[in-house]
Amino acid sequence: MNGTPKTSRAILLDGLWHDNPVFRQILGICSTLAVTNQVLNTTVMCVSLTLVTAASCLTVSLLRHWTPRNIRMMVQTLIIASYVIVVDILLKAYWPQMSKNLGPYVGLIITNCIIMGRCEAFAGSNRPLPSLLDGLACGLGYSLVLLVIAVPRELMGMGTILGYPVPYFVDIWDPWVIMVMPPGAFFTLACVIWVARGLQARKEST
Amino acid sequence: MKERLFFPPVYMFIVTTVYGGVLIGLGTWANPRIEANQQFAFERAVLASHGLDQGSTAQLHQRFQDRFKEVEQPGFGTVYVLQEDGQTTGYAVPFEGRGFWAPIRGVIGFEPDRQTVTGLGFYDQSETPGLGAEIVKPYFRNAFDGKVIQSNGRPLRLVPPGQSTADNEVHAITGATQTSTRLEDILNDAIRRWQAAQDAPEATP
Repeated sequence: MNGTPKTSRAILLDGLWHDNPVFRQILGICSTLAVTNQVLNTTVMCVSLTLVTAASCLTVSLLRHWTPRNIRMMVQTLIIASYVIVVDILLKAYWPQMSKNLGPYVGLIITNCIIMGRCEAFAGSNRPLPSLLDGLACGLGYSLVLLVIAVPRELMGMGTILGYPVPYFVDIWDPWVIMVMPPGAFFTLACVIWVARGLQARKEST
Repeated sequence: MKERLFFPPVYMFIVTTVYGGVLIGLGTWANPRIEANQQFAFERAVLASHGLDQGSTAQLHQRFQDRFKEVEQPGFGTVYVLQEDGQTTGYAVPFEGRGFWAPIRGVIGFEPDRQTVTGLGFYDQSETPGLGAEIVKPYFRNAFDGKVIQSNGRPLRLVPPGQSTADNEVHAITGATQTSTRLEDILNDAIRRWQAAQDAPEATP
């Protein structure tokens, strides 16, 4: 944030890997655990969150010279909430079934720490375009982890991917019911953090 | 300008007005569509309870309008009567109750004899995907087709998979015992109340 501005490549790589919101910053865990039992639900959640994060970061960055410091949090919350409501309304109007599946979690994007975290840490002190990119990168970083969690959960829990049966998993494999239940998310998330940090640590030590 | 005392409230006011206005506009524009979606989900559940839910949104809506007549059953509520050439060819009875996570709402279809079940349709449920939510899958709903409700004891029963099923028994869902038992209670409660309402002296079907 201070010193030389980051390059676009660095921003993207940070959001996706080095500073990934889920397994590095451990942000947005609530929805990570809640919506990852089916790949389709997860995908829609990821797209929604990425759009909201990118739009919020862009807006916060555009308004950064006018927003008084002491009320910046209020303004950020208002901006984030507005975009979330837009996504919620659009889902309800055009994809009611998905809106039902995601239940309260679309509305809860407002409280997803990733968005406010990025608005505070990056968008408030950077130019609009890098902020948009940062929002996108963090949204994609979140999406990456969610999909990595959702695929094994749906596969091992139900024997399907995106609702399509996968050979071997539907007939021979005995579905692990726990994978689609909330505990399954904890186990999978822990494994993902373990593997990702293990890889990062190896890279840092070489 | 930014340091003036009045600036933060004014700024907040402007930002709120702009965003509020946009959201109100969007909401007003989308509301009829959202309500239509909810109504349609219900209509599709009614059609599904008689296996008539194949086709496009417009076709289904038209079919619901043409075939089903809303009838007020005193002591129960609204029941939908399936008609063909003025003849009653079935009933669709709405039910609702507490599921495992949130309410389950749906419709159960009956033949004109009011004893033989034709199927189930759901329009609201939030059961666990892959477990309780399997109740909306055709294989589960179709299992009710042809079942005959029993007059004494529980009208319908959900029994563990693997067992053979009697005339009023359907296989429950493995791993979703809570959803299954609750659904059984919800269905039986609605069936009993509907029957009681018909047996009441003032009821003229």
